[in-house]
Amino acid sequence: MFSGRWALLKAVSGGTWRDHPGRLVLAVLGIALGVALGVAVHLINASAVSEFDLAVRSLAGEADLVIRGPRSGFSEALYARIARRPEVRAASPAVEIEVQLPGRSETIKILGLDPFRAAQVQPHLLAGSREAVFELLKPDAVLISRAAADHLGLKAGDLLRMQIGVDTIAFRIAALLPAGATRQRLAVMDVANAQWRFGWLGQLHRIDVKLAPGTTTAAFQKAIEREIPPGVLIAAPQAEAERGASLSRAYRTNLDMLALVTLFTGAFLVFSTQFLAITRRRAQLALLRVLGLTRARLFRWIVLEGAVIGVCGSALGVVIGCALAQFGVERLGGDLGAGYFGTVTPGLSFDSGVLFIFFVLGVAFAITGAALPALGAARRAPALALKAGDEEAVLQRLTGWPGLLFIASGLALSQAPATDGLPLWGYLSIAFLLTGAILVMPRLAEFVLSRLPLLRYPPAALASAQLQATPRQVGVSLAAILASFSLMVSMLVMVGSFRDSLATWLDGMLPADLYVRAGSLGVTGYFTPREQTLIKNIAGVRDATFIRTQNVFLRSDRPPVALLARPLAPGKSHPALPFEGATRLVTSRGPPPAWLSEVAADLLGVTTGALIEIPIANTKHTFIVAGIWRDYARQNGAIAIERTRYVALTGDERANEAAVYLDPSAATDEVSTRLRAAFGNAEGLEIASTRELKRSSLAIFDRTFAVTYVLEIAAVVIGLFGVSASFSAQALARRREFGVLRHIGMTRREIAAMLGCEGLVVGGLGVLVGLALGWVISLILIHVINRQSFHWSMDMYLPWQALALLAAALVIAAGVTAVLSARRAMTGDVTRAVREDW
Amino acid sequence: MIRDSRTKLSTRRRLLALLASLPAGYTRSAERKQTLPRITNNESRITPFAQVVSGYRLRFPQDEGSHPAFRTEWWYITGWLETSARAQMGFQITFFRARTGIDEENPSPFAPRQIIIAHTALSDTSRGSLLNDQRIARVALGLAGAEEGRTHVWIDDWSLEQDGAAYGARIAARDFILDLRFTPSQLPLLQGQHGLSAKGPRPESASYYYSIPHLKVGGALAHAGTRFSVGGSAWLDHEWSSSYMDERATGWDWIGINLDDGGALMAFRMRDAAGATFWAGGAFRDARGVRHAFEPSGVEFLPVRLWRSPRTGTSYPVAWRVRAGPIELMIEPLMDDQESDTRASVGAVYWEGAVRATHEKKPVGRGYLELTGYGQPLRL
Amino acid sequence: MLTIKGLTKAYGDVRARQVLQDVSLDVGRGEFVAIMGESGSGKSTLLNVIAGLDTPDSGEIVFDGTDVTTLDDTARTLLRRDRMGFVFQAFHLLPHLTIAQNVRLPLDLIGVEPADATRRTRAMLEAVGLAALASDYPRTLSGGEAQRAAIARALVHAPALLLADEPTGNLDAESASQVLSLLRFQVRQHTSACVLVTHSSAAARTADRVYVLSARGLTMQAL
Repeated sequence: MFSGRWALLKAVSGGTWRDHPGRLVLAVLGIALGVALGVAVHLINASAVSEFDLAVRSLAGEADLVIRGPRSGFSEALYARIARRPEVRAASPAVEIEVQLPGRSETIKILGLDPFRAAQVQPHLLAGSREAVFELLKPDAVLISRAAADHLGLKAGDLLRMQIGVDTIAFRIAALLPAGATRQRLAVMDVANAQWRFGWLGQLHRIDVKLAPGTTTAAFQKAIEREIPPGVLIAAPQAEAERGASLSRAYRTNLDMLALVTLFTGAFLVFSTQFLAITRRRAQLALLRVLGLTRARLFRWIVLEGAVIGVCGSALGVVIGCALAQFGVERLGGDLGAGYFGTVTPGLSFDSGVLFIFFVLGVAFAITGAALPALGAARRAPALALKAGDEEAVLQRLTGWPGLLFIASGLALSQAPATDGLPLWGYLSIAFLLTGAILVMPRLAEFVLSRLPLLRYPPAALASAQLQATPRQVGVSLAAILASFSLMVSMLVMVGSFRDSLATWLDGMLPADLYVRAGSLGVTGYFTPREQTLIKNIAGVRDATFIRTQNVFLRSDRPPVALLARPLAPGKSHPALPFEGATRLVTSRGPPPAWLSEVAADLLGVTTGALIEIPIANTKHTFIVAGIWRDYARQNGAIAIERTRYVALTGDERANEAAVYLDPSAATDEVSTRLRAAFGNAEGLEIASTRELKRSSLAIFDRTFAVTYVLEIAAVVIGLFGVSASFSAQALARRREFGVLRHIGMTRREIAAMLGCEGLVVGGLGVLVGLALGWVISLILIHVINRQSFHWSMDMYLPWQALALLAAALVIAAGVTAVLSARRAMTGDVTRAVREDW
Repeated sequence: MIRDSRTKLSTRRRLLALLASLPAGYTRSAERKQTLPRITNNESRITPFAQVVSGYRLRFPQDEGSHPAFRTEWWYITGWLETSARAQMGFQITFFRARTGIDEENPSPFAPRQIIIAHTALSDTSRGSLLNDQRIARVALGLAGAEEGRTHVWIDDWSLEQDGAAYGARIAARDFILDLRFTPSQLPLLQGQHGLSAKGPRPESASYYYSIPHLKVGGALAHAGTRFSVGGSAWLDHEWSSSYMDERATGWDWIGINLDDGGALMAFRMRDAAGATFWAGGAFRDARGVRHAFEPSGVEFLPVRLWRSPRTGTSYPVAWRVRAGPIELMIEPLMDDQESDTRASVGAVYWEGAVRATHEKKPVGRGYLELTGYGQPLRL
Repeated sequence: MLTIKGLTKAYGDVRARQVLQDVSLDVGRGEFVAIMGESGSGKSTLLNVIAGLDTPDSGEIVFDGTDVTTLDDTARTLLRRDRMGFVFQAFHLLPHLTIAQNVRLPLDLIGVEPADATRRTRAMLEAVGLAALASDYPRTLSGGEAQRAAIARALVHAPALLLADEPTGNLDAESASQVLSLLRFQVRQHTSACVLVTHSSAAARTADRVYVLSARGLTMQAL
């Protein structure tokens, strides 16, 4: 029995793979690539998120609840009130600041805590090292984590230098935190020290609370609700981790979609490989059917072949994916360079569940890819299969209606709103549109090709006749070109539009000549009022405006929103921001104006004219939304208010950034030098000209999107692969024709020209429809996917030159591919094909 | 301007630096409008600790409170409790105050100028070893502290407070809760010379020290879900100093015995590295209230029996023959294992346990025995 | 018009199979020659070599004064296009062209003026009696009709030499005789030579001369 099956297998499958290993390898690689990408993206993301989670937990320790304030902190009296409550077993206060490391464009997190309290709530942080604890009390001492020590190349006894204002101050590293404390880059000092040295007297940023047994977190939260000032959050550490994870969720989903697309590509490769293989073996398969192989059996065998490809590809993909993940994490960090997980260095954990899921996905896609050709092969009546000209019959069933339905649904779905902050309907609408277009293509091809003009040149005429007679057969090639080209066009348009919008936005956001910053990232970089006057008085400076940046918690499940205190130009009622839509004039009697970035507006679900409450200095203040502006810089949202109002509410006259306008005669370099000298060449001072800023911003953008260009090239290659497979299949089926034509007297070159014409026409049609479809998809990408994922708006910009060039290149490539694919079919033994009875 | 930290500077430079760079004033507002301290270096400034000087007269009740200028201070209550079921146990409640000498200019209320440490222990023979707990916190925002002028020292929900003439202690330890009231039945007993207790040959190693023996104890003990009414007698020591131990001293042995006839005896000796006595002292108040102080040569501690701790491997002499002046006592512990591991708070392991005093095999009193510096030399 | 001398051809490298051995043949204008032989005797190979689709190992083929063996592939193809016509056993009409388009295919390849080509195609179709089916597709035709269309295609450009490979192999007796007479008539009409390869003696009887192809070469057979 077994030997019978084996013989059957050999009859069905044997020989083909031996003859054409190249295609088999390509199909396996296709699946492998899809699985690898998915695995890598998921592993990296999972590791990063879990690392983030760990980081959050390592700080929270055994705390049941964490009370968190915005960057401006909250009064330490709150800690005293909380700690006294009978429900609280222990409360650990802390000052938490991101401090700029001078000379490096990065920060380190400083946690100023009370080691005695921390020992009760976060015991593993200091892990009972009594000497370290008492060392920490000394005013110049700091403990750093192993990760920080490794990263900065420091050890116990060295100095850790940090930037405060524009100056640098050094602390002595008394010891390293124990190995199991945290994986973050962290520095720990005494809370009194941190308050005093960094200017946080009277304030704290967090309290980690451990509750007495018998008290539930919910009950406690309710009990202290009234104690908590506005703008301060109280949440379980789990919620914080989720808040961090939600940050990058849209980004991660995008990457997941990318992996899915790649898997689809892999499935398509399997499909075309199987399609070709079946066509090649059509005669053998038909004979087997005549001999008595049932339909179901045949179907199963062919699908089994696909499954084997899937298994090999998936296994390979899993291995490659793990390696890719390791590489990606080491080179790019946990967020693949997007900047979400700054101070966390993730280690990879290979979740076997994820690996298994992707393995199964790869096999499933491969099976799906093999299923359609398998269906065709099984359905074909054997008698017909023994003759020529029956391919059209198989595809006869495909009418245009399902395709139109898909397209219509796709268009409808594109109007749907986001679910849970993710543009799932948008992704689905793109998938539907693509599917619909592919399904409609045969009909469309029939329509267009039947109207091809009559040509004199015989090869062209023959090509035209061939295409007109068999429009559905070219469906596979058309589908390949259509899918790959439309995706390429949509990506190109989207990236082009993004870049163009970014450049325009930069122009709007950077009206000054020079921008001066006291440290780019940390909270501890700022300019005092005296320093601000100093900047204004530098020779060559016509005027300087100052901006103060803070952050506020507007929603407990989202990260804090940036608060920008910006000055208004004299006589203007709105700050100079790139507004979307109309701005609203605000009377002096109503609530004061606030201008929200698109992200912030989406987050709060408000539009111009709405009232919002912003907690500033631990009090809620009502503002009216006076305008919505576009912001590409702050992914969590930004709210701008007048600086004078900010100072009135908080008394904080410090500034983080200065926009410097120069005299017409002054040179940028000279003024820069003078500025630096005025600050004593402080390391913490950052000066950049607008030109440099624009250039570097666009450079970062290009780097970020470099990956998409690679993907586009891959897409084109895939498309051509599909063309090649389809044309090869057809060429095989038309061997007899070629034989006849050779007998009649057509030279090889003329036959090649005929195939080339077919390729050009197919390519041209595919490219034209692809352009249209790609444009529609880019619309969805811009207005739905990007908008709902990141809340950014973009103006559409069509890069005509690039598109035209690519279209032309693809059409020519299709023609060339068609000729090359049929090359085998034009060799000498084609003349023997005419003898073949099948 | 790079600011580096240097840890070694002469006192004079420190003082000059201190004068030269007074921090600018600041106001507490919702946003910190302060300017940062313009200090020229990071090292700690040590304002001198108050020293024990002869001629100082202890005043009551003022000196019952805290003396924050001194480096070290403690309020130490030890005693015997009896439940209604006639079970006898020993108990200890100790509050330490330590002045760190750190961050004296830091205006933050979190500045760790003073640290409060508390120990508590319960000796229950049915258990065989101590039930104990410890706490440590800085004096900040009223969550821990030691009041001046009267006995009131607390750390979170542990407290010892003077209430009229009596004292109340509430200790919610990990495994038990003590809610006790101590009523003095005798006047305080000044130790040493009018309260100046010398701890070594040099005048610097000394402390101010008084005891209140024969405190009547009443109150409750909650343990393992049950609340017991308890009664008994206790001994309170209040001692403060800035330089307690002589260089040579590695630890001490101390007893405080409430004698059955109403008298009270305190005796101690300081040991050197070899384990020999290099200083001793004590005081005895008889039943009539007449006080006798002992010279160092008049006090002898002779170990009778050793006990080895299974946890730390240290051998403690848990039974003694003590001679103080004309008095001779045999000291026997309520149980051998009364070792306290308080490395987390004071960094030391010591033996503190309830003992019975006998004279010629007849019981004459009960009290506590303290053995320090046996595992590691003690450093205060 | 066609002179073959000493043709040899072998296939395969490992076990070389001598397909043609010392074949010589002379065919003149208007002559109808039939070649018979057992299957596997190399009849089709001989036709391919004559048509220039294959090259012999040795020997000489002179067609209308030109030695075919000295020409390159393109030249042979052009020669074949202009001056030869092929009829196959399996008809081999291009399935996606109409009968008319199939028949005029050689004319289109040569580059004849469209109007002229149309006229000649129509004439040819009428000559074979398929004018009514000119716009139909090959799959709707019967075997006999298809073969007639194939003959029309083979002769539409008035070739000097017609090569027919088992033209009646797939036909019933009636269609076969129809096709054969048509073939002979057209050959006579256009004064083309015809080499017919068959294993049917009935078909061979219609020829002027019959040869037998064997391992020893071509030997003429008496009728």
